[in-house]
Amino acid sequence: MSETESSRIGEKGSQKPGRREFLAVVGSGLTLGFFFDVVPRVAEAQPAGLAGPPANTQVNTWLNISSTGAITLTVGSSEMGQGSFSGLAQILSEDLMVNYASIQTVQGVPATGLPAIGNSIGTFGSSVTQSNYWNMRLAGAAAREMLVQAAMNIIGDQTRANYTVSNGVITYTPTNTNISYGLVASAAARLPVPANPPLIPDSQFRYIGTTVSRVDIPAKVNGSAVYGLDIRLPNMLYAVVIHSPVFGGTLNGPLPGLSPGVTAWVPLQVVAGTGRGTEATGMVNAVAAVGTNTWDVWQATLNATIAWSTPANASSLNDANFSNEANSAFNTNTPYSAGGPNIPPTLYTVEGNLAAANAAIAGAPKSIGPLYTLPYVPHNTLEPLSCTVNYVPGVSCDVYVPTQFASSVLALVNQMTGLPLNQIRVHTTYLGGGLGRKIEVDYVSQALQVAMAIGQPVMLLWPRPQNFLRDQFRPMAKVHIKAGLDNNGNVLGWSCINVSPSILAQRGYPVGAVGDSQATEGTTALPYDLGALSTQWVSHPSPIPVGFWRSVGMSINTFAVESAIDELAVLAGKDPYQFRLGLLTNPRWIAVLEAVAVLSNWTAGPPAGHFYGIAICAYANSIVAEVVDVSLNPGNDPDGQPALFNVNNVYIALDCYLSVNPGQIQTQLTGGMVHGLNAALYGRQDFVNGVPQWSNFLQNRVIRMNQMPQVAWTLIPNPAQSSQSVPIGGVGELGVPALAPALANAYFKASGNRIRTLPFFPNATMSGITN
Amino acid sequence: MAATFTLNVNGQNHTVTVNNPAMPLLWVIRDLIGLTGTKYGCGQNRCGACYVLVDNVPTNTCLEAAESFVGKNIVTIEGLSPNSSHPAQLAWIANQVPQCGYCQSGQLISTAGAMLAGYHGAAIAPQIQNVCICGTYPRILQAVETL
Repeated sequence: MSETESSRIGEKGSQKPGRREFLAVVGSGLTLGFFFDVVPRVAEAQPAGLAGPPANTQVNTWLNISSTGAITLTVGSSEMGQGSFSGLAQILSEDLMVNYASIQTVQGVPATGLPAIGNSIGTFGSSVTQSNYWNMRLAGAAAREMLVQAAMNIIGDQTRANYTVSNGVITYTPTNTNISYGLVASAAARLPVPANPPLIPDSQFRYIGTTVSRVDIPAKVNGSAVYGLDIRLPNMLYAVVIHSPVFGGTLNGPLPGLSPGVTAWVPLQVVAGTGRGTEATGMVNAVAAVGTNTWDVWQATLNATIAWSTPANASSLNDANFSNEANSAFNTNTPYSAGGPNIPPTLYTVEGNLAAANAAIAGAPKSIGPLYTLPYVPHNTLEPLSCTVNYVPGVSCDVYVPTQFASSVLALVNQMTGLPLNQIRVHTTYLGGGLGRKIEVDYVSQALQVAMAIGQPVMLLWPRPQNFLRDQFRPMAKVHIKAGLDNNGNVLGWSCINVSPSILAQRGYPVGAVGDSQATEGTTALPYDLGALSTQWVSHPSPIPVGFWRSVGMSINTFAVESAIDELAVLAGKDPYQFRLGLLTNPRWIAVLEAVAVLSNWTAGPPAGHFYGIAICAYANSIVAEVVDVSLNPGNDPDGQPALFNVNNVYIALDCYLSVNPGQIQTQLTGGMVHGLNAALYGRQDFVNGVPQWSNFLQNRVIRMNQMPQVAWTLIPNPAQSSQSVPIGGVGELGVPALAPALANAYFKASGNRIRTLPFFPNATMSGITN
Repeated sequence: MAATFTLNVNGQNHTVTVNNPAMPLLWVIRDLIGLTGTKYGCGQNRCGACYVLVDNVPTNTCLEAAESFVGKNIVTIEGLSPNSSHPAQLAWIANQVPQCGYCQSGQLISTAGAMLAGYHGAAIAPQIQNVCICGTYPRILQAVETL
């Protein structure tokens, strides 16, 4: 299908596809393809070394209304529990004027279909609803008006007012004649796409703003939902990966021999664009055992003798060394230079002026200077990494993978096989959690290597320990904040320096003058009145692979900033909620703070023996505040470990501008909060001579039912949902960042102890499990 | 040393041959019998993703050799009901419990086992020790309160 055979609507004068622009295809029934804005994170997440089609040139999602009236929404983004499949159908059904339940949502396969679903298909940055809301609204309205126009052509009366639409049926009111969408779908496809189709007014919404049932849930209660490991292909073999125990180590000896159930061993190289830090392109950092079932090949990887080299720098890859490097990085005076080598540690000035901030703080009557320390943290998706490949050389390559980034998989397969894009099919399965780890394609490159080596379909699995040991971790960080107050509690100066490894630099992106935006997010553009301000970031030289972890830099920096604000409130002798209000003029921040205070009954306070802590942050166009209620517990937790405190309640207030499905927002906020809580209490990975130490949930314990706090939540209502000038906020990651500081602030209130180093319980273990 | 034995899964006998007699029930169910609803999680009998009912008792399957389950009645998530009509499945749908869904086979098996042991309503909740990373616990509690 060439563009001359299609018609488009879009922004005036725009030749490039952008948001709010559709491609109508002549074919069976009516098909509209949607483009969407590339959120900056999509571009950043694609490895710089990985060639791919240019961004923003292909369709992300398409809508088909068949001649039988069946409505199919083919979605490029991934379903990993956030409910976006349902949310998109919910939005579409509004202006298309059909029943939500009549829309079948299907996972898109990039580079296939008419029009071909293309690149920029990533699911992260809390972006799916943000990116697609207006696409869905306008596509539904455009399709509806094309169908009505086709009906008008049949009836022969061009008076639009003589037609009504309800539940996919067009009624010509003068004769009460009904015409179904299916009957006119093919004719509608030959009509121009209307430029400004009228939208349903908010007052007539049937679905937006209501909690409707999710389409993916029935398959998730009977075992029929297909995740990565559930693919079964004819003649498929099973492969299990084992990596060098040392980061930077390579295979240093022969492959092991075959054994019952094991039919091959395959050395695995780091493929260009997939290696981070210690893992350089071309090095053999892993091997796979291949055979007839998972267990036999997994045991072979554990029992075989495999020799690995120890890299020369292994002895420097220690937590103590990383800490010392961070401490000395605070004193670096190597500034960023445009075009320069900028080898870490390099000092980036993000905002403000350090000398002015230091002078203000030095002259202040009262000051603080806390240092916050956070460890490397693994992702912990319950579904381990896996990828299934059916490769027919020169003909086709089918990849079945739980991925957050199908277009990056597509580019990788194209690079590795040389097959044209239209001979590659990337089938995104359900994800058993993504959390940012499944943005990466390292495991996909390994499955492809095995498939190419053995000439047979293969499923490749990382068993649980490999997922913990060989993660691309949330970066370690040290954040040093200094601030000064006058005698009335006004902030005179604020200096924040974050030292952490750069996720973007490890992906080959040149870091600009203001540093890695994902390392500094949460320290910048703070709406508090902080007086003379300085925000800096120093790149840390550690080569341990780092990656995107649900809410990325926010989860690090919000802990530091919101703990420090709390420390200032204590120094000023003020209530932490009132102190924050006093520093704010931003009406959205104030409204969210007030909402969480009302929800938690902050002013009256918690019951006797309970203590509140509060924190707030902004991310993905949304603002979230959390209040955590703890009580001291001198006993043990359910796993027999010292408890210190119980987390009794968490109160969450969110302003995401627009609420599509409140029930889903509730579960996302709760889930994000739990993710933040698990990491704050227990999350870490430690390194000894390049060897990651913790391989299971033993030391990365996660809470279970018996530790789950009660959760209450509220949304800030938005009075003008249908205005296209109103931005849309994300939800998926919003529950995460404010939890850790709100918890630390509550624990300080309860105990007088200020926790500045995470996790709270580095030595707590989960019972009934070994490392 | 290969071993051949017969397991009763969801009311049907399956004769399987394993290369390694230590192969746990989980991998026999998934890779040899081909029922994929039972999930691999921690691999250490802890997270509960691999639960099945063994003679009505929720049981981890990722460590213990499959051969030791000969003669037992094994029920997987696929065998809980023929058409998602088990009360726990209906409650899970009514309360929109799953997010990513990966742990939910195990959560449902725990719940079904607790019901078989005579627990009802909120008293089921303490019987559920399964890990959920998505934080669906409040919805699980809401669902079991109806059972």
